[in-house]
Amino acid sequence: MDFLADVLQWTATNVFSEVAILIGLITLIGLLLQRKPVEETIAGALRATVGVVILFIGIGVFVEGLVAFQTIVASAVGLEPPAATRTLGDFLGEYGGAIALIITVAFLIHVLLVRFLRTRYVYLTGHLMFWIAVVAAASLVQVFGAVDTWILVVAGAVVVGLYWTIQPLYIAPLMRKVIGSDDWGYAHTSSAACFLAAKLGRFVGSKEKHDTEKLVLPKQLTFFKDINVSTALVLGVIVVVAAIFADPDVLAEQAAAYNPNISPWVWAFVAALRFAAGIAILLFGVRMFLAEIVPAFKGISEKVIPGSRPALDVPTVFPFAPTAVMLGFVSGTVVFLVLMGVFAAVGWFVLVPPMIMLFFPGGGAGVFGNAVAGWRGAVLGGSINGLFLAIGQAVTWGMLSDTAPELATLADPDWYIIIWITLGIGALASALGDIGIWLVPAAFAVGFAVWLAVLKRRRVDVVVEPISESAPLERPDAQASVTSEEERSTKEPLPAPPDASDSR
Amino acid sequence: MTRQEPLRVLTVCGVGMGSSLILRMTAEDALRDLGVTAKVEATDVSSARSMGADVIIGQGMHTGELQGIAPVVITISNFMDKDGLRAQLAERLGELGWLN
Repeated sequence: MDFLADVLQWTATNVFSEVAILIGLITLIGLLLQRKPVEETIAGALRATVGVVILFIGIGVFVEGLVAFQTIVASAVGLEPPAATRTLGDFLGEYGGAIALIITVAFLIHVLLVRFLRTRYVYLTGHLMFWIAVVAAASLVQVFGAVDTWILVVAGAVVVGLYWTIQPLYIAPLMRKVIGSDDWGYAHTSSAACFLAAKLGRFVGSKEKHDTEKLVLPKQLTFFKDINVSTALVLGVIVVVAAIFADPDVLAEQAAAYNPNISPWVWAFVAALRFAAGIAILLFGVRMFLAEIVPAFKGISEKVIPGSRPALDVPTVFPFAPTAVMLGFVSGTVVFLVLMGVFAAVGWFVLVPPMIMLFFPGGGAGVFGNAVAGWRGAVLGGSINGLFLAIGQAVTWGMLSDTAPELATLADPDWYIIIWITLGIGALASALGDIGIWLVPAAFAVGFAVWLAVLKRRRVDVVVEPISESAPLERPDAQASVTSEEERSTKEPLPAPPDASDSR
Repeated sequence: MTRQEPLRVLTVCGVGMGSSLILRMTAEDALRDLGVTAKVEATDVSSARSMGADVIIGQGMHTGELQGIAPVVITISNFMDKDGLRAQLAERLGELGWLN
């Protein structure tokens, strides 16, 4: 028995706690299930493993740049930099294994839910599958402390699996308005901003009168689409300006820590570039392991759930209104920068502009807003996103200070909502002691069940709403849409809505 | 210009993680249908510039800036539309004599 205990202990320490190795193994299983040739299987598993190692290096560089940025800007506006007892790097080091298992178990739960509740959309946005698992784990650990790994995995996986099921489903009616078909769903953590943009949009304008695609934006804006460029530029400008107002001693001390001979001004700019570089490295690492894992998820879901639709990342809606994307990005960035000044002036919090999150969720909210209310809706959508990101970052940093506060600077709107709900329920449930953690997934499950029951009773057909033949096809690919319309009619029938008697 | 074997194809999106990966799978299927052996990678706009590809596929928002980076640059607007992409690939690869 001692031997068995030793083996389990060894595995827990060396496999389940070493996230790189665990992700490598999960990838290996995924590639084997797809019956890839041996050399591709081994290469793919190794690439995924190296990707995780690169991710950790990127997080190290990113956190270093973040701390430098926050220190200088805080000094310039006379605030204390945001405090943290732990960093994202520490947190992933300790809980990375649990997070990898949450992703795997949550995907199984998600596939079963889609299959048996016929909710139709399979969540395939890989990097968000990763980050939502991180967010759920960080929130649960923040409230319940060091719980048993398996408890954390199961509780986290239920929350995450339910989110992946609910999010594409509730946004689906609006998504069909945006893309003019039901070829794919929307799987992105900007959904809250998109939903609000579309729902509030009808009070501000109309698609017919104010369509963004009748506008021509200055061409110079386009280089902001490269997020490496926009992050380096915006953070570089802010940190150099902040350096003018910062305490010279603080500036000199920070610069000397990097290189004793460097000019503090040059250092300030280099610090911003290192922040951008850290994000680029981090994303490169995530991309490496996703490239191996996501095809396995796609293959499995296609086998298990015939007739399902993939729910995809935000850029899949960008071609439907590219100008709305830029409007959403620019308006959100303006709102964020204004709030950055306001928060600093009232001495509340030192915000860090998250350029990726201003661009992608802002662009998505812009497209959804445009679909209802034209350019006014797009500006509204971007502004809602800017508000979410600024308030979310300021409020949420402290909430996660014992786990991974940096998540607050990397978050999309839905991340904040998941964190707030989890911490809210957790705060109530922690009074129950050890079993309290189960209340969090239970509350998510009950909420989902009630919502589905209400939809069914009202016969609201969220799940399948046939597109009428006469519905105008959206620009820009009338031709491509026609192809897919034809293709659809030859494919097998769509899954039935939940209230139909069809038992397929 | 002769075709590389395998053809080096990049699918591009802003960050190179979500939609470009879906596009990679669509492109792999389309190229397989055409009988072209290809190595397809998903990447971001910045990296695509230095990766030396034969074919770049992305949405119009990015392909505008990537013209001239690769011999063939294809613009798509539906990431799932395999048939549309196959038709575009057939036409453009055919022009270069890259379809056997």
